[in-house]
Amino acid sequence: MKLLPANFGILVIVACSLLLVIIGCKEQNSAPIQPTPFTLEVPSHFPNPIYQTERNPFTREGFLLGKKIFHDTRLSRTQTISCASCHRQLHAFADGNQSVSTGIEGKTGKRNAPAIFNMAWNPYFMWDGGVNHIEVMPLAPLLNDTEMGETVVSILQKLRSDTSYVRMFNDAFHRDTIDDQQFFYALAQYMSHIISADSRYDQYIRKEIDFSASEQRGLLLFRQYCASCHTEPLFTDYSLRNNGLYLVYPDSGHYRVSRKPGDIGKFKVPTLRNIAVTDPYMHDGSIASLEDVIAHYTQNIKPHPNLDSLLKQGGKIGFSLTQDEKDDLMNFLLTLTDSNLLKNPVF
Amino acid sequence: MNRIIFLCSILAITVVSLSCKKGKEEKEVPSDNPHGNLAIKFHYAFAQTPGDFKLHQEVVHPQTGDTITFTNFKFYISNFKLKKADGTWWVHPESYYLADISDGDNSVFTIKDVPAGSYTAMEYVMGVDSTANVTGAQTGALSMAHGMFWDWLSGYIMVKAEGKSPQSVTKFFSFHLGGFAGEDNIVTVKQTNFNGQELKIADKQTAQISMRVNLATLWHDAPPLKDASAIHAPGPLAKKFATGFYQHGIDFSSID
Repeated sequence: MKLLPANFGILVIVACSLLLVIIGCKEQNSAPIQPTPFTLEVPSHFPNPIYQTERNPFTREGFLLGKKIFHDTRLSRTQTISCASCHRQLHAFADGNQSVSTGIEGKTGKRNAPAIFNMAWNPYFMWDGGVNHIEVMPLAPLLNDTEMGETVVSILQKLRSDTSYVRMFNDAFHRDTIDDQQFFYALAQYMSHIISADSRYDQYIRKEIDFSASEQRGLLLFRQYCASCHTEPLFTDYSLRNNGLYLVYPDSGHYRVSRKPGDIGKFKVPTLRNIAVTDPYMHDGSIASLEDVIAHYTQNIKPHPNLDSLLKQGGKIGFSLTQDEKDDLMNFLLTLTDSNLLKNPVF
Repeated sequence: MNRIIFLCSILAITVVSLSCKKGKEEKEVPSDNPHGNLAIKFHYAFAQTPGDFKLHQEVVHPQTGDTITFTNFKFYISNFKLKKADGTWWVHPESYYLADISDGDNSVFTIKDVPAGSYTAMEYVMGVDSTANVTGAQTGALSMAHGMFWDWLSGYIMVKAEGKSPQSVTKFFSFHLGGFAGEDNIVTVKQTNFNGQELKIADKQTAQISMRVNLATLWHDAPPLKDASAIHAPGPLAKKFATGFYQHGIDFSSID
């Protein structure tokens, strides 16, 4: 003992204490494993997303939970229909080839299932603009009797009695029980991550590829005739407009929301990204092909009193395009298909 | 050497338990200031019908003469504030309550952690403020699981009144009242001065006040059931029913 410095004992005590404090506190305060952050990658040529995620921080676990929910048929009343039943990846999460989709018990809806991608940029949702937030958007198809026909209470019961859901909700949100906020948070995370920004158009904009001469002419025609509503780079300005589909609208569109006569027949301008794989077209899926859509805007627009002013310029309804111009425009529209989105196993 | 290790261990364990405990305690106690709770109890009535009004009780409306039986009645009340004796307001955070007549004697909203003191007035909001209508998924009283949020037209159903009446064309009535923007806005700020009394909140105690909820006031300025028996969206008719109820159907009645 005498060989050691006088304060050696104290040094040992201090060192041991510090070590134990660190170990002891660490063990006692050990938090549950934190979910892995999974932030949204905003494409370089996109504006900032609308969806603010401070309340719902994106995580890998939240995304995977949302993915499982999106594809789970058990969540419908009859356990037969999932979100993915009518929003199919192969069709850019629209219900390809169906004018209106089939929900539970063979019932059909009234409107064409919209494509789901770039959702975080949407200021509102639904063809008529009735839904104001991405987190409450899934409520409509979940509750609608012709779609999934379920109640929130019943969905929560199903989730709480499923051990794999209990584990996944806990991994993602660390709450005592599963509640509907976490359910909608997870779906919002999954849907927000479905981003379409890698079509040939995007590659052209990023100067990675060249367009053919026809595609280039098509882009110029698009910018001249279409882009004021189908604005780049999201290919919609998110406005509600009447495009003269009918003289008398069986579905009154935005009027149902606003009850203003001037809103009869107004519907959300859909994005044209992936337009080649999301047929049929219009809010009711009444136009089968892209050729027919171009025919609508060149010769079939009906003079509804609420027809958008951009479609009746210079006292004339619709646009005049030669067959060559129509072909060029079509070739450009085909560059908007993001084939990576359609087959990416992440979704 | 053995003694040093022994001392070291004792000291370390003490330090560990002390240092770790401290951190925990600081989290659990929000403040040293004295505070109590305020319970707000809702008593349901139908015009002058004697006794507590309940679901499935047949009544006749004194104004319209309609025979009415309620099967469901819920409403949102929110954003409670209390006015201190010095004139400043204490604001209750996350202040949303879904009152339900079927809760009977348990239709009570308890506001926790109110600073102890005397209060001369209370402000509250009938309905759900516009911010909460555009915020997305929420919890507690604002959870979607209560069936009080429109799926097709985002916004809270702030009053849900459903029941039966022989005067209704369908024999049923269903009023889902809401609207938080523009001319459809039904959200109404109300105040009471406790009829001139002082509300005292004491440390670690729960004070209680009673409020009277009169369902007959839905028809204070609204058409009888033969003319209106279903409302499922915001609009002028929803506003008529809601305004009657909000202005005349809910009031402070006593400090208990």
